[in-house]
Amino acid sequence: MFLQQLVNGLTIGGIYAMIAVGYTMIYGVVQLINFAHGEIYMLGAFFAFTFITVLGLPFYAAFPLAMVCCAVCGVLLDIFAYRPLRQSPRLAALITAIGMSIFLQNLAMIIWGSRAKPFPQEALPAYFEKTAVSFGGVNLSWFHFFIFVLTIVMMAGLHLTIKKTRWGKAMRAVAQNKTMAALTGINVNRVISYTFALAGALGGAAGIMVAAFYNSLYPTMGYIAGLKAFAAAVLGGIGSVPGAMLGGVVLGVAEAFGAGYLSSLYRDGISYAVMIIVIILIPAGLFGRVLKETKKSM
Amino acid sequence: MIPILEINALYKNFGGLEALKDITFNIDRGDIIGLIGPNGAGKTTLFNCVAGIEKPTAGRIILTHGDRTLSIGGKKPEAVTGLGIARTFQNIRLFDNLTVIDNVKIGRHCRTRSVFFGAVIRSKFQQAEEKAISESAYQFLEFVGLKGRGQEIARSMAYGDQRRLEIARALATEPQLLMLDEPAAGMNPQESRDLMDLIRRIRDNGITVLLIEHDMKVVMGVCERVVVINHGEWLAEGLPQDVQNNPKVIEAYLGTGAANAA
Amino acid sequence: MGKLEPRNLTRGAKLRIGLLILALILPFLPFVTDYQLHIVILIFLYMILALGLNIVPGFNGLLDLGYVGFYGIGAYTSGLLTYHFGLSYWVIIPLAFMNGAIWGILLGAPTLRLTGDYFAIVTFGFSELVVLFLTNEIWLTRGPLGLPGIDVVSIDLTLFGGPKWEFIGELPYYYLAIVMVLITVFVMYRIQDSRLGRAWFAIRDDEVAAVSCGINLLAYKVIAFAISAAFGAVGGSFFARWMTFLSPDMFKFWESFLILCMIVLGGMGNIWGVMIGAVILVSMSEILRELLPLLGLPADVRFLAFGLIMVLMMRFRPAGMLPIAAVAAQMRAGRTKRRKTKPAMGIKK
Repeated sequence: MFLQQLVNGLTIGGIYAMIAVGYTMIYGVVQLINFAHGEIYMLGAFFAFTFITVLGLPFYAAFPLAMVCCAVCGVLLDIFAYRPLRQSPRLAALITAIGMSIFLQNLAMIIWGSRAKPFPQEALPAYFEKTAVSFGGVNLSWFHFFIFVLTIVMMAGLHLTIKKTRWGKAMRAVAQNKTMAALTGINVNRVISYTFALAGALGGAAGIMVAAFYNSLYPTMGYIAGLKAFAAAVLGGIGSVPGAMLGGVVLGVAEAFGAGYLSSLYRDGISYAVMIIVIILIPAGLFGRVLKETKKSM
Repeated sequence: MIPILEINALYKNFGGLEALKDITFNIDRGDIIGLIGPNGAGKTTLFNCVAGIEKPTAGRIILTHGDRTLSIGGKKPEAVTGLGIARTFQNIRLFDNLTVIDNVKIGRHCRTRSVFFGAVIRSKFQQAEEKAISESAYQFLEFVGLKGRGQEIARSMAYGDQRRLEIARALATEPQLLMLDEPAAGMNPQESRDLMDLIRRIRDNGITVLLIEHDMKVVMGVCERVVVINHGEWLAEGLPQDVQNNPKVIEAYLGTGAANAA
Repeated sequence: MGKLEPRNLTRGAKLRIGLLILALILPFLPFVTDYQLHIVILIFLYMILALGLNIVPGFNGLLDLGYVGFYGIGAYTSGLLTYHFGLSYWVIIPLAFMNGAIWGILLGAPTLRLTGDYFAIVTFGFSELVVLFLTNEIWLTRGPLGLPGIDVVSIDLTLFGGPKWEFIGELPYYYLAIVMVLITVFVMYRIQDSRLGRAWFAIRDDEVAAVSCGINLLAYKVIAFAISAAFGAVGGSFFARWMTFLSPDMFKFWESFLILCMIVLGGMGNIWGVMIGAVILVSMSEILRELLPLLGLPADVRFLAFGLIMVLMMRFRPAGMLPIAAVAAQMRAGRTKRRKTKPAMGIKK
């Protein structure tokens, strides 16, 4: 039981981590909780689904293509919804974010219907089902491995991008101080778009993996997952990418154990409770900076 | 002379930056004290420590309240206002979108009580209180020379009038000590003269005044004593003319003070 | 608010009195059906809810995403007290008010120190937890089966040897709702024009300046939140005794969103704006609820329109259709807290 829950926890934790880094990166550069991020995750699943079932693309092609589409969606979201409000008070931006989230959920319902759909399992490589490793009463399939490896690769890739590339440096600069970044010649808007694209791609990838692994996709899947991933980002310290990764894994494991040992009914509630407790008691999270009301200068 | 405020070995650090080092001086009741020094000297930081917006790193700030003395360093700003210290801000912080009269009425907040039930039921107490708030607010407006302008929106006023409104609001909190942060900034000579007159009238009403100011005409014209700080440290103190001629002070200002004091 | 001089009513006041009279005689007009009365009662209910929520984003500038939590708590408390103890609704109203206020204080005290975003998310989490609780604690709430058979409201004079008059049909609820709306509006006006309201607007405008006037930020924010929650709970209590049936899925986040939309559309902080927002959005919601299935779309999709409204309003008229001065300038773009730097030279300290 313990090992099973651990495996479950790590699997879902990796997924949460991928969504959480998206929240945290966007918060870093525009100081906004992108409520619609969960919807990008959801769209990833639906794009992949559509590419496979309607266009007949193989899984290995649909996956990256859907990620690209999600990246584009992220950028469009920024350009049309958030960028015009760059100078507006936070309340306005928050309301817009929620509005976009609801809008996208319902748009998906119109396009694809509101009922849950199964993911086209036949498109997945046959060996995914097969057990790769078996120990302690737990079977790890190749699909498990696929998720683990992909998650780790993407997280590592993200980490390298942020630390080593020019874009990464620019993102960090913009996150620290937009004005100064602009003064050093960084095109702030473009960096922000890039961040949205990256966040979108990762979120979309997470969506595809979840839909395929749990064999179900539905328009409101982003709502719950998004909130939990946000909890993970907060736990890790909003604005900190490694924090979000760690927070995702910790939350996934906590949720799996909580659901397994305490109450499966309150599975989702565990995340909300963790989030509320973390926000109240340690708003800085594990790695982040504290977000007190920015002290207005005298 | 009874000190109303004693500042004793006050230190304030921001991370590695020592903004205030071992500041010690007293303010006597009924005085008009000027606090001067070059930009970056730490004057506003001092105000912030007294007003409760910053917590001193070390040292004490002692207020004489009635017949007791209280250490107020580290108290919350609302409490400090309640104890009778009001301040204005260097960059004018009015309630821009509210009316002039509402700005002053809000100043009365710390001296009044009604909350929810009073508001809804309009008890005799609440009605009397509202009437008193309104009357005193209009009186404060008249005192600073803004009579009849109660219904204007604060944001739309001229700069000099906004300064006076901020002072009216601060006066509405019924302070014993009023701290003004560069009240004459941006004023023309006539406005400065009106301001000096206002400060004297405030003092004549029994309120002690501490002001940060760069305009030496105002400092010379209205302050009875001047304290000079530089780089967070006490530099000199005394009568305005003496301080003005103090070579250390002149050196600190690199001549700007001397040039402006014509 | 000025005194009412009998012969010199403003145009606005005349309009409102006219609307009130229309509302009072509406049920007796020939073409009005029970279904339409039901919708109007729904509008009145949402007016109360929206006015309650208005306190937080409207007067205080904070985003409360968990309002439906208080609505649900009020509804279920009312429903359960009635179901198990047969309490009279007239006793339940003040109980609901206090219960809501208590929950508002409990949730608000630890969370109102947080920045706006965190506060919004925490309230969101709270309302989700409330729904989970209502769904899972079957021993208490009967969970997804719902709570049927709640007594209707009644005026019970049997203790004094009089009759017991039960509310049958929509008509009695209609007038009860009007009375409740009027009381809510009355309370809101009274608060707005008082020391409490001024303190709230001060906090909304400039927290540092508010503090320098002696306003305790946390205390006043908690008061706002508690009163808002109290009205949400009272609305919920009415809902329970009107619908006579409750189920947890009536209290999902969509409701919070809808009520927020009313405030955003109508004008944050503006009592009349909020009421008009309620009229427009409830009407739209009901029309779309009927219309969308005819187009082969699920009724829930009407929220697409609401989401779009929110986004467009924030983009083009962030203070709402009927903005109030205190809010309007605040919500416009470019309003990063203005710094009136002195015209003289000098490096900022």
